Amino acid sequence: MNGQGLIKGLSVTIKHFFSPKITELYPEVKPKLPESVKADFDLDREKCIACGICANACPNKVITIETEKDENNKRRLKRYEMNMQYCLFCGLCAESCPTKAIITKQNFELAAYSRENTKRLLYQADKAPASETEPGAKE
Amino acid sequence: MENFFVNIAGLIRDLIAGFGLNETLVYLAMVIVKFVAVLVFVLLNVVVLVYMERRVAGFFQERLGPNRVGPQGTLQLVMDIFKLLSKEDIVPAGADKFVYKAAAYAIFVPTILVYMVIPFGKGMNVIDLNLGLFYILAISSVTTMIIFMAGWGSRNKYSLVGGMRAIAQMVSYEIPYVFSFLGVIMLTGSLKMSTIVEAQQGVWFIVLQPIAFIVFLIAGNAEINRGPFDLPEGEQELVAGYHTEYTAGRFAMFYMAEYANLLAMAAIGATVFLGGWQGPWLPGWLWFFIKMYALVFGQMWVRWTFPRIRVDHLMHLNWKVLLPVSLANIVVTGIGIKVYQMVRMMGWW
Repeated sequence: MNGQGLIKGLSVTIKHFFSPKITELYPEVKPKLPESVKADFDLDREKCIACGICANACPNKVITIETEKDENNKRRLKRYEMNMQYCLFCGLCAESCPTKAIITKQNFELAAYSRENTKRLLYQADKAPASETEPGAKE
Repeated sequence: MENFFVNIAGLIRDLIAGFGLNETLVYLAMVIVKFVAVLVFVLLNVVVLVYMERRVAGFFQERLGPNRVGPQGTLQLVMDIFKLLSKEDIVPAGADKFVYKAAAYAIFVPTILVYMVIPFGKGMNVIDLNLGLFYILAISSVTTMIIFMAGWGSRNKYSLVGGMRAIAQMVSYEIPYVFSFLGVIMLTGSLKMSTIVEAQQGVWFIVLQPIAFIVFLIAGNAEINRGPFDLPEGEQELVAGYHTEYTAGRFAMFYMAEYANLLAMAAIGATVFLGGWQGPWLPGWLWFFIKMYALVFGQMWVRWTFPRIRVDHLMHLNWKVLLPVSLANIVVTGIGIKVYQMVRMMGWW
């Protein structure tokens, strides 16, 4: 019968009218990212043995590690910095770490106003833990 | 609550009469007051309608639509209007300046005039004309001319084609549009809007005239250039049709007139087919409002479902489908009325 298609079309659209919306209310509601998303890094200072494998594994030379010897002539981490503007988030650093000290996080809001702020200081020996200072926060 | 607005009108009337004016002047003043009330009603509703259209369109497409400005995006349109008014008002160099400018103001006139006879509730119309429905049809057909004024005055090929399409479409669809009301007029024996509403005390005319209602919906949709019948402003081939060249405030006028027309169409449909302000429990004006918005939602639903119809199919649908159907409906209604009268006369029922 004529007009069946019209009714079918109307019924299809009204279903979409009541179905859940796919729009993400981004700044208020954080998106649900797939597990494999790597966007930020954190360093477990207790686990890190300052071997420097992560710095070697990095294809873009993002990671700078400064070490020092302690009183037992053991290598100790002095400074761990990631220059995030060159990071391609491949995750090879986290993969290569023998003690799993460097871990990936899903906080992707890394935008910063100036080039200096893109540097991510994950550890500095004589300073308070620097990991909490999110990039872009200190304008 | 039933007579809330009527009582307000009565209060204003007493206030004006208190100035010691004679009967005619009070009547005139009341008409002006009612006119302003309707104007405010229409403009407020246009704001709501544009917001509603964008939200509904979003919902049909599984988006949310405007939801940032103000609570749930309700102030979005206010901002849009401010933006439009702050923009540069451009009159094309080659335009027929008088016609071009006049069209932007004239486009609202027939729309507002249509609202004058619509009963928003019991005793809630500006003027209850004897020829109410006829007046509506006569006035709303003037819109065609104004749209062509806009298309012609712009001196732009897209505008002109849009205006010509508007004429072809609106003049053609005027006929089934008018015929769809004829069945109702035959049943009530009156063109007066309040009589038509009162005749639907027991049963709405959508039940007695379902085919007329469908014809009215289709032809009405084509009359206001919306939904699948938006050929005069077909975006892909005509930019924006007859209002391509309009900017800033003038564009806002066309945009608002479009929605005011939509509301007028819904109001006419609610009055003629859905029993106007008749309804249980709730006050009449609220019933009217609900029915009006139900029809508006229906129009939006249709608009965001169907793709635009082709020009030749548009004419085909009108002349070969809607016109015969509406004529047949008139014949069947006439026979039905006679049979009913005969049955009553013979005392069979």
